[in-house]
Amino acid sequence: MATASIATAGVGTSEQYNYDIIRKFAIMTFIWGAIGMFVGVYIASELAYPFLNFDNPYITFGRLRPVHTSGVIFGFGGSALFATSYYVVQRTCQARLFGGEGLANFTFWGWQAAVALSALGYMFGYTQAREYAEMTWPVDLLILFVWVAYLAIYVGTLLKRKQPHIYVANWFYLAFILATALLHIFNNLQVPVKLFSLESYSLFSGTQDAMTQWWYGHNAVGFFLTAAFLGMMYYFVPKQAGRPVYSYRLSILHFWAIIFLYMWAGAHHLHWTALPDWTGTLAATFSIMLLLPSWGGMINGIMTLSGAWDKLRTDPVIRFLIVALSFYGMSTFEGPMMSLKDVNALSHYTDWTIGHVHSGALGWVAMITFGSMYHLVPRVWNTQMYSVRLINVHFWLATIGVLLYITAMWISGIMQGLMWRAFDDFGNLQYSFVESVAAAHPFYVMRAVGGAFFLAGMILMCYNMYKTIRQGSTEAHAGLNVAAA
Amino acid sequence: MSQDKAATTTPKTTGHNWDGIEEYTNPLPTWWIWGFYITFIFTVVYWLLYPAWPIGDKFTKGIPGLHTITYTAKTADGKEVEKTTHWNMRAKFMHEMNEHQADQKQWFDKVAATSFEDVSADAELMQFVNSAGKTLFSDNCAPCHQAGGQGKIGMAPNLTDDHWQFGGTYDEIHETIAEGRNGVMPPFQDTLEDDQITQLAHYVLSLSGEPHNPALAATGKTLFTGAGICFTCHGPDAKGNTAMGSANLTDKIWLWADIVGTTGQEAKVAEVKRIIAGGVNRGVMPTWEGRLKPEQIKLLTVYVHDTLGGGR
Repeated sequence: MATASIATAGVGTSEQYNYDIIRKFAIMTFIWGAIGMFVGVYIASELAYPFLNFDNPYITFGRLRPVHTSGVIFGFGGSALFATSYYVVQRTCQARLFGGEGLANFTFWGWQAAVALSALGYMFGYTQAREYAEMTWPVDLLILFVWVAYLAIYVGTLLKRKQPHIYVANWFYLAFILATALLHIFNNLQVPVKLFSLESYSLFSGTQDAMTQWWYGHNAVGFFLTAAFLGMMYYFVPKQAGRPVYSYRLSILHFWAIIFLYMWAGAHHLHWTALPDWTGTLAATFSIMLLLPSWGGMINGIMTLSGAWDKLRTDPVIRFLIVALSFYGMSTFEGPMMSLKDVNALSHYTDWTIGHVHSGALGWVAMITFGSMYHLVPRVWNTQMYSVRLINVHFWLATIGVLLYITAMWISGIMQGLMWRAFDDFGNLQYSFVESVAAAHPFYVMRAVGGAFFLAGMILMCYNMYKTIRQGSTEAHAGLNVAAA
Repeated sequence: MSQDKAATTTPKTTGHNWDGIEEYTNPLPTWWIWGFYITFIFTVVYWLLYPAWPIGDKFTKGIPGLHTITYTAKTADGKEVEKTTHWNMRAKFMHEMNEHQADQKQWFDKVAATSFEDVSADAELMQFVNSAGKTLFSDNCAPCHQAGGQGKIGMAPNLTDDHWQFGGTYDEIHETIAEGRNGVMPPFQDTLEDDQITQLAHYVLSLSGEPHNPALAATGKTLFTGAGICFTCHGPDAKGNTAMGSANLTDKIWLWADIVGTTGQEAKVAEVKRIIAGGVNRGVMPTWEGRLKPEQIKLLTVYVHDTLGGGR
């Protein structure tokens, strides 16, 4: 059955490709995943039980929240993207990474330093208070250098490819790298207060500043957390399934539609604010038009499995990948709906938004990463996974965790939205704000439990990976080669 | 793979092969294309209903007359005028507020025109007071006085007991809400010796039956009514004075010194000494005139007096 994959699995070796950099980023993916998700569970618990702040400023919700988001998005997600993109670009171009070990290692140490410095900075109160771009200006500059190096490595490798065409996964990765550069630069245009101060002023002000921030924020989701992970999907799904990609034409069309439409949609984060109505309308309609292009990726991924559906029963890695695509389809339906003015009037400022983000972040981003990493790690360490049973347990822990999380936030969010707008027969507000806080408490507990399930799965993955990597190293020392076993 | 029954109907691949991955030349799913067309039609309709495209420093406002909002607004000279405009956030907000304010108006008018006592006696009107009072109180007063008006030691007095620092009649409560209060006690650490403050603390504790040293309390009493000048505010009988908001020290109610949450004579003495030495400068109730409407303040007065306050 797996003749094709065995034949090609033998091709990629550490002599031919730079696997060392992939190994480094893979390990950091697991470490940041565990840290970032632990902090997430902790702050979720703080919301349910505020005594957990312990009157300690360094661990209050306000400071730990960006530690969580940066840890999971840039630490976990970013490291996973570096690892998989370096793997995919080398293997689909049949070319070693451009720029040698030094440049690749610079992207590794630079990126890790940036994530670690920003997390520490937040705990000590240094933030520029822009969501998902809280890093202070020195860290912004470090990220800029790392990103230029990343772009050079990526384009350089593409240019020296031994294949006539560029594989679709690489389009998505390249779009992600280019768009992230653009977003990062424009959202961080600022002037430091003094040379040796970490504080800075944004170049924009008022509504324009908010607009720039959400142009960044939404496209960080669009290009960092969607396009890039679609690149991951386009390599690892057909590879793990051993099937051709469903439709080449669909991949071209939905790629360009996503690239064109996403950039317009950010303003839907600012409905019912000082942002002019017309700006919100355009953002809402471009979000609606994004629905089918987003689904193009889901269709192409899921239909790739057509003819091999039985693998869903036998292969937990495939299960991760397909469930990820299902959550991707669900949250890319939910998003456009929430961008409509009237739906947004109910959902804005409620936990529904948090639920939506996590159905994408846990269900899509983390699940597709888990599946891809279970495929990648045994190959770059030239061994087998230590335990397939543990992958299976991880799958169920993660799935139950996501479902608990998003169900809790849906109920709590819609409940908040309805309570805030409820009037009685006298024309009085029916509920005070604090009543809606009290009503949300059980769902905050439920959310923390869901997060704990997800974290437990992540820790299990770390253990499984640790054993796998050790086993790979031992085999390498013993001179064994069991890759094709 | 060759035994796979799908293999016989397998579509063609593009002929590319990347690291073993091939691509089929399957056409676009028909429902996917139609779905995209439908979202585009929806988009155009949305543009015709809402403000959408910027043109210079103006913007399209949708098809005239198709999606309008009518609302009533007050002009600068206080006249009410009805306006109909293209859909916009501000008009939608005004329209919805108009509806609820119309529902509320007859009730608020009645509260404004009725004396405190008569509002209190009117069961139907009291239903309105409780409905409006709950959210008004929770959204404005609860941050200090807590969700149920139970207060918090060190921050704000309990409004559900019978003790009223600035008086518990309708008029007094109304004045408190409308104009605010400033409960201040000067610090005595520079004017009194430490053992004098200790003696005063024992006396203050003795007044409410807390553990104390009777000998020290007796000296404290002389200080209280004499050189310590405590009596000038708290009164010679230490029962306080609602006109200036000085506390009654003979009851078991504590606002600044946490005597209830402290155990042991030594700790309680230390707690009272902390207040006498440092004084009180946080007893500020802000003024609500201007922030709430007069009829809302009146309604809150009845709510605090009748619903929270109990007897007085």
